[in-house]
Amino acid sequence: MTSEPTTPTAAVPATGPAGGAAPHPPSTTVANTGVARPPVPSRRARRVERVIGVLALVGTAATVWLGLWVTPHDKVQGDLVRLVYIHPGVAWVALYLAFGLAAVASLLYLWPRTRSLFWDRLAAAAVEVGVVYNVCTLVSGSIWGKPTWGVWWAWDARLTSTAVLLVLFLGYLALRRVPAEPEVRARRSAFVALFAAVDIPIVHFSVDWWNTLHQGATVLNANLSPTIHGSMAWTLLLGFIALTLAFVWMLLVRYRIGALEDWLAANELDLALVERQAEGVPAGPIPGAGAPTGATGSRVGVA
Amino acid sequence: MRYVIAGYVFVLATLFLYAVQLLWRRRRLTRAVARVTGPPSDAAGVGIAASASPGATATPGAASPAVPVGPVASGPEGAR
Repeated sequence: MTSEPTTPTAAVPATGPAGGAAPHPPSTTVANTGVARPPVPSRRARRVERVIGVLALVGTAATVWLGLWVTPHDKVQGDLVRLVYIHPGVAWVALYLAFGLAAVASLLYLWPRTRSLFWDRLAAAAVEVGVVYNVCTLVSGSIWGKPTWGVWWAWDARLTSTAVLLVLFLGYLALRRVPAEPEVRARRSAFVALFAAVDIPIVHFSVDWWNTLHQGATVLNANLSPTIHGSMAWTLLLGFIALTLAFVWMLLVRYRIGALEDWLAANELDLALVERQAEGVPAGPIPGAGAPTGATGSRVGVA
Repeated sequence: MRYVIAGYVFVLATLFLYAVQLLWRRRRLTRAVARVTGPPSDAAGVGIAASASPGATATPGAASPAVPVGPVASGPEGAR
């Protein structure tokens, strides 16, 4: 799958660089042979994606600056409180946004009136990005837990249910690797995503249902009155927004990857036929002439 | 403070590396699509042949271009 430097067409990507002068690839071969046109995002979509990426970068940098140097330390936790600007943010994205989106998208795929592989790809993209965020949640929480609780890990309800969620969605990703028709893969992946999503409310309410080492909700508590204020609250909010924007950007890129993979898989046979036909056309008038080498040449010679 | 730094470094480095990996995967696939959908570089269609999958190129026994479907059809199937 690596690019061939000897192939001139490799120098013309399907999606152009920043300028994006060519909204469609030079797909005359495809257009002339009936092979489906590859998915190409519009210039507006690419611009939106770029803006989101830049905003995520700036927001994350601002969060780090405010979190490490500007906000005051806590009376009880000291400097350890600075982890609050990043740990709940990644947890919010992983547990609620990514896996919640995957569950909704899976449900929309299973719903007959909205069934489309778009929802399947969206769910797969959300789960993959969510798994990365989930790992960040567990590790940053563990790093916070060591100086606070004295241990790297405790079989606490919140921690354990979050780890179970990670394992469930790793299983989801593993299931998608099993070869199958796209519809079959989408259907069984959707069922697994919905099954795994049952753990999301368990994670959220675990600190209320059981006595846990983990503290209760600071922002999304039962009274919906955040127990944090001042510059700490604003920095926390900025961290949430920045990490959410980073998630959206990754989701867009990952969705595009899924669309390209599906297109290549779906058109593999058609493209092979196009190649064979293209090889056969010039072979007629001058059989064996030119003494070409390689596989193409041998077929021309036979013809 | 070292725990705080460790937490920030782990989270930001992980997200950054994942983002770079996403961009690399997208670029690789975009190039692959451009290679297979691009026009042939010469009359013999070398541009297309150079981008053929291994299954498609490993058919030197194809008797005639007039019957191109048989041997090629097994190539992508095997790749899957």
